Amino acid sequence: MNILTLLIFTPILFGLIIAILPSSLRSSFKYITLLATLVQLGMSIWIYCNFKTGAAFGGINQESQFQFMQKLPWINLNLGSMGKMQIDYFVGIDGLSIALLVMTSFVLVIAALASWEIKSNLKGFFVLFLLLDMAVIGVFCSLDFFLFYIFYELMLLPLYFLIGMWGGARREYAAIKFFLYTLFGSVFMLLVMIGLYLSVKDPATGNHTFNMVQMMNPANYQQGSVFAVLSHQTIFGISARAIGFVILFIAFAIKVPVVPLHTWLPDAHVEAPTPVSIILAGILLKVGGYGIIRICIGIFPEIAHADAYWLGMLGVISILYGALNALAQHDLKRLIAYSSISHMGFVLLGIASLTTEGLSGAVMQMVSHGFLSTMLFFLAGVIYNRVHDRGITHFRGLATQMPKYTAFIMVAFFASLGLPGFSAFIGESFSLIGAFKSSSVNGLLPYWMAICGSVGILLGAAYFLWTLQRMFFGQVNLKGGSVWKTALTDLNIREKITLLPLALMVLVLGLMPSLVFDKINDSIVTFIHFLQLK
Amino acid sequence: MHDLIPFIPGSISNVWGSIPYLMPEIYLTILFIVVLVTDLIFGRNSEKLCRIIACAGILLVIHKDYQQIQLLFASGQVNGSFLFSEMLLLNRIAIDFKFIIDALAFVLVLYFEWDNRLSSDRKGLSDLYSIVIGSILGLHLMTMAVNLLSIYLAIEMVSIASYLMVAYRSDNAFSTEAGLKYVLFGAASSALMLYGISLLYGLSGSLSLFSGNLLPGLIQANPLAVSFAMVLVLIGMGFKLSFVPMHFWVPDVYEGASTPVTAWLSTLPKIAAFALLINFLRPFIYYTQWNAFNFRLTLEVIGIITMITGNFAAVLQRNVKRMLAYSSIGHTGFALMAIVTYSSTGITALTYYLAVYALANIGALALATYFANVTDADDVDAYKGLGLKYPAASVCFVIILISLTGLPVTAGFTGKVFVFSAVYGVYQQDHNLWLLFLMITGALTTVVSLFYYIKIPLNLFLKRTEILKNTQEKSYNIIILSVIICFLLVFIGIWPDMLFKLL
Repeated sequence: MNILTLLIFTPILFGLIIAILPSSLRSSFKYITLLATLVQLGMSIWIYCNFKTGAAFGGINQESQFQFMQKLPWINLNLGSMGKMQIDYFVGIDGLSIALLVMTSFVLVIAALASWEIKSNLKGFFVLFLLLDMAVIGVFCSLDFFLFYIFYELMLLPLYFLIGMWGGARREYAAIKFFLYTLFGSVFMLLVMIGLYLSVKDPATGNHTFNMVQMMNPANYQQGSVFAVLSHQTIFGISARAIGFVILFIAFAIKVPVVPLHTWLPDAHVEAPTPVSIILAGILLKVGGYGIIRICIGIFPEIAHADAYWLGMLGVISILYGALNALAQHDLKRLIAYSSISHMGFVLLGIASLTTEGLSGAVMQMVSHGFLSTMLFFLAGVIYNRVHDRGITHFRGLATQMPKYTAFIMVAFFASLGLPGFSAFIGESFSLIGAFKSSSVNGLLPYWMAICGSVGILLGAAYFLWTLQRMFFGQVNLKGGSVWKTALTDLNIREKITLLPLALMVLVLGLMPSLVFDKINDSIVTFIHFLQLK
Repeated sequence: MHDLIPFIPGSISNVWGSIPYLMPEIYLTILFIVVLVTDLIFGRNSEKLCRIIACAGILLVIHKDYQQIQLLFASGQVNGSFLFSEMLLLNRIAIDFKFIIDALAFVLVLYFEWDNRLSSDRKGLSDLYSIVIGSILGLHLMTMAVNLLSIYLAIEMVSIASYLMVAYRSDNAFSTEAGLKYVLFGAASSALMLYGISLLYGLSGSLSLFSGNLLPGLIQANPLAVSFAMVLVLIGMGFKLSFVPMHFWVPDVYEGASTPVTAWLSTLPKIAAFALLINFLRPFIYYTQWNAFNFRLTLEVIGIITMITGNFAAVLQRNVKRMLAYSSIGHTGFALMAIVTYSSTGITALTYYLAVYALANIGALALATYFANVTDADDVDAYKGLGLKYPAASVCFVIILISLTGLPVTAGFTGKVFVFSAVYGVYQQDHNLWLLFLMITGALTTVVSLFYYIKIPLNLFLKRTEILKNTQEKSYNIIILSVIICFLLVFIGIWPDMLFKLL
């Protein structure tokens, strides 16, 4: 049995167990879910340890260089005149996926621990949770576009219900907004996917294929097909490949989210219950970033090269707009949501530089933001669970009230604002180095973009420190008075167990970024090399 | 008269030779008579018996369908065989469609009794079963008709049966009104179609689509007159397919008819009409000199308009059946997309899409029946908070609606992928912009369709309500049916090969 296949489908097995068990055992569901995520974490750590590095394991556009591969024929339809429709169950990982995969498994454990706060419809919640778990792991592992798309879409429905049924006051609105936004992006992605499928032929079998690795090789495109590299097909007078790139980019940019397409995110994050916010911010946003790197740029490298300026521009806008919005928020969760937009802007900026440093920074930033946003949302959830309020101005002097909690908040805030020694510093600085270097290496991004990105870090410091000052320092002054004062107890043992590994992770990654860089470096180098070949 | 005598032996042997190819239809005719007689003999108590006979009979007919495939292979006529001097054409596509029709009819005959409102009718359901068998016979003929005359007869046969079914609950004013509307619309459109057919006959002197003078004659005729006649014929078929602008009857009739009848109308006649359209278009597509009337462009434009109208109108609906009625119009538009490709891939994709759509639609309407049975809920709003009370039915409803929307991992999604890739394949060859517009519309309306389909899960699960009516009874049969349908939808969604192997 392939380890990746096990990793993908373990949660659904546990989900089935939960679905079959009678509701009288509902108190055990959270433990079953936790067990499932722990098993997954164990497997992904095993994968991490056994992940080979070196120039022979770069992956990206070399199918043989992927690791833990499994390729099974899945759908084989004889379509008469059009040959065979060939869809494979094809999973495998390279350096781009490994770091995100481990991060995802880790975050899912935390999300399972955060699910203790869920009190109603436990069976539904945990079954949907595990279904979502399967889908996100599947996205990072699939190398067949069709398989990728199925997992990608499969995330939507569980999330709709998770936000809609267990969310806050405006949950219906937030859930449908999220669903429609993402679906809008992905139905057009479906069209591009089918176009790519009909343009690419697998050299081994001569059939059309959904294989993403084959799609990266310009030689596999059929003469005269819509997305063929050499034939310059046009749609409405615009190059077909440019249209394909833009459509895929929009689909993933909605997920990231990149600024003009971000409006679903504050609603969804704020209304979602804590475990779902954690999965949304920690994992789903990375699916967007991962998709942009692997699919948008991987399949349409020359378009990415030509449009890198605009990608960088969108990244900078996201950084600044997200940060400025975060400054203006009165709701702690909304502030974190906007800070996510700002932090994910660095990912896009790093990607747009198309340099080794920039891309490594982007991946590092995704991993680091995965842990940090998890931590931040969990911390916001702690307060909300105790007093059902998140207004920043409604709290004051929490440091004396909840000292341990404040310690963790300070770790999370300082790590997020990019203090050296924490993981976000590495991610952001490498992204910025990439952006600075870009103008001299490939001339894609001007200096001012990198400078604006640095201003974003400054703004980040501003909103985090200001929030710290408003909520935690000074005399104790709570909106709810003495009722709140008794309710706001310090962290309990479960919360400490949850937060401690997260704090350690961001610290360890900040001190030893090589834990990530060693594993991803070969792939990034291969990727940059591949981009220069195009 | 004397001149025809030499031809008589030939004609008789032709008729005689065609009969083995018509076994399913002959069995259907016998079944029709048996059900009718049973009803007459046993009177009021015959309901259960008629149902058993009808179901068993349909299974037998399915078996006969299967034998037809072997018959075609055995006689070496893999490309099809003309029957009764080119009145009917039996080919693989027709047999596939018959399979789908019979299998769905079997499910529907089982389901008729489970609707409390329909089965509480004074007349009992025995009559309905005989009407249904008659209707299946008409549907079978529709899939095979290749002569303008047999096309008309088949359509009328199905129509008359449908009129009776819609107005079956004659003591209910709503149902009667729907029936009357249906009859009026149906009569008008079949009159128009007959007029069109007579014009075609007048212009060419032939009724047979595949031989004779029909096409050569029409090419020499005035293109305007030919187009006019073609539009009239398309109106007749459009009435059965319910594409825009021939869709006006759909919402009222679907809402007014009892739910199982709606399930019948929204699936079987539509599937048969697509089979008919395939047969009707074939000579015109393959006749290279044909330029009098651009079927492709017409159907492309109709497809786009139908998708937009159906899906956007569905957004405004509150009644579940009305919403599904509009959504079925939208699905017609999507299926038209597959037909304009007119490639073998397109036809395969169409068959798959229609089978899956019909399965899901029957499931959705069966669940509408379920909720009407247990809580009297007709409107989406009345579903508020029912999800946690009836979890099995509600979860099934969600899966079925997901399939209708076309999201993974359901058969609806793979259906959509196949249709899109068929259209794309053709677009890649001829760069016809209309095909691109069709695909873009198809993608956009998917998002729109999510917006209204999700209203049902939204009310079932997300909205909460204090007042929950106490249930009168439970309909376990419908739950079992919908669980099976859900399982099939997911199973076919993951392994579409399975269905293709059958087709």
